[in-house]
Amino acid sequence: MDCERFDRIVLDFLYDELDELTAAAARRHVEQCARCRGIVAGLRATREVGALPLVDPPEGLELRILEAERQVRDRLPMRQRAGRAVSVLAGYAMRPQLAMAALLLLAIGSGLVFFRQRPNDRDTVSVTERGVAESDPEQISVLPRLDSEAPASPTPRPSLAAAPSPLAKELASATRNGMAVAPAATAAPAEARDGEDSVYQAALAAYHAGRYREARQQFESVVAQGGGDAARAAYYAALSAKAGEGCGSAATLFDQVSQHYPGTGAGYDATWEAAGCYSTLGDTERARRSYQALLDEASYGARATAALAQLDRADGPTPASAPVPVAARKSAASAPAAAAPAKPAAAAGGAVKAEPEPSKSKAGPARQ
Amino acid sequence: MVAIPGDASDETLMVRYQRGDRDAFTLLVRRHQRPLYNFVLRQLRHQTLAEEITQEVFLRVVQSANEYKHEARFCTWAYAIARNLCVDQLRKAQHRRHPSLDQPLGPGDDARALADVVPDPTPLANAERGAGATQMRAMLIQAVETLPDDQREVYLLRELANLSFKEIAEVTGVAENTAKSRMRYALERLRTRLADYEEYARALR
Repeated sequence: MDCERFDRIVLDFLYDELDELTAAAARRHVEQCARCRGIVAGLRATREVGALPLVDPPEGLELRILEAERQVRDRLPMRQRAGRAVSVLAGYAMRPQLAMAALLLLAIGSGLVFFRQRPNDRDTVSVTERGVAESDPEQISVLPRLDSEAPASPTPRPSLAAAPSPLAKELASATRNGMAVAPAATAAPAEARDGEDSVYQAALAAYHAGRYREARQQFESVVAQGGGDAARAAYYAALSAKAGEGCGSAATLFDQVSQHYPGTGAGYDATWEAAGCYSTLGDTERARRSYQALLDEASYGARATAALAQLDRADGPTPASAPVPVAARKSAASAPAAAAPAKPAAAAGGAVKAEPEPSKSKAGPARQ
Repeated sequence: MVAIPGDASDETLMVRYQRGDRDAFTLLVRRHQRPLYNFVLRQLRHQTLAEEITQEVFLRVVQSANEYKHEARFCTWAYAIARNLCVDQLRKAQHRRHPSLDQPLGPGDDARALADVVPDPTPLANAERGAGATQMRAMLIQAVETLPDDQREVYLLRELANLSFKEIAEVTGVAENTAKSRMRYALERLRTRLADYEEYARALR
């Protein structure tokens, strides 16, 4: 290797990006050539001196990000959630990189076609199911709001603006940390629950592949084992029932999830789904009760209020329920737990289990 | 939720998140918020903006999660978003001569406030150790922040984000060789600015 060639690769050398052979040649050259040795030593020294100290982000940034995520995702229209599943499948067919917009359009627009083209996909019905959910007035009203927000370049978000100025804290912690800053606490300790995890994963895969009955059985087995995934799995089991069999059997399942896991994300999600199902089924009384149970929940409150208003409009003005007084809300919040009948759900669950399922379980085709 | 192995790759986490696992997203945020925040902070020299943009980066990740492909590196994607948002901001600032981006930050900014105290050219002679480290740090931050925009972004993507030159080229939309020569200019420039401190910095270690 000569100096000219070394000059061309000196940065790759500095950052260990050379293949082994070239790196060895470069090392040999540096040993022999004082000029290049000087260059490398200089760059390396600058790199060392120039290692930027990392300052801690303002306190609460993580929480604000996660809260914003929750809001955005909860607001994602059903269509897009379905698109999520479709995009996993469509990923195979559409390797060549299309423009993002085209992909999104295709994923949403031709989702139906993709599902139908899969020979062993039994539930074109499920797409229709989702279509029902789309007609939920709240979902639709949310769409333009999301679109108008998405491209806006970072204007202060309410959550951010409301936060106290983190400046002083940041400065303090930055100074405190000096040059050496401990690495951010990253992963939570990994627990070795591989078996359980793989069942859950297989169930998710089955769900996304549209094998809802299989997914539901697997989710239910995760629920039976208990543990940290139980709530989410129960919610997904109910979702699978909804996708596979429709709201008729799913509504009470959602209710059960809300009752068994009150105060959890899965519980609230289930209450929301239950409300949507009852609404679809025309059972506005139960729908209303479920929405009312969500009124005091941070991420669902506003949407529940809107949904209730929508129900009221559909029903014609009923004086009792238009703006819900706080006292009524409080009492209503505990109502669905007592009111929801557990029997039909058990019956529905039993009926499904009784049916023999072709055991092609375990990881389905939906993998990346 | 499902137990996530601590060493799961970003890409695995992203796919899990696509499938509805929010814990995976939390982990991604924990891993990347700090370097991303620092990247934006050094680009824009503005703490509030840096915070907003870091949040915006993750929101865009959420909004585009559907389109994410496992083959793409999460880091490259996230930093491309961050970089583009920064470029927008810098462009805007140029148009309306945004005071906060144009001038040094107020007294709240550690780099500037401390950099003003730095003029002593022979820090070894008289600086007491702790104060010297702070000065050194301020000097370094100032040196990086005053690099030309195109050099600074490459430098930050390399040193803070730990992207390869190929990835940097992808993120910034230039040829790989261009990215490398910008990096080299940046290093040489920093070297001139920090020459006086090099020996001292070594003594600190």
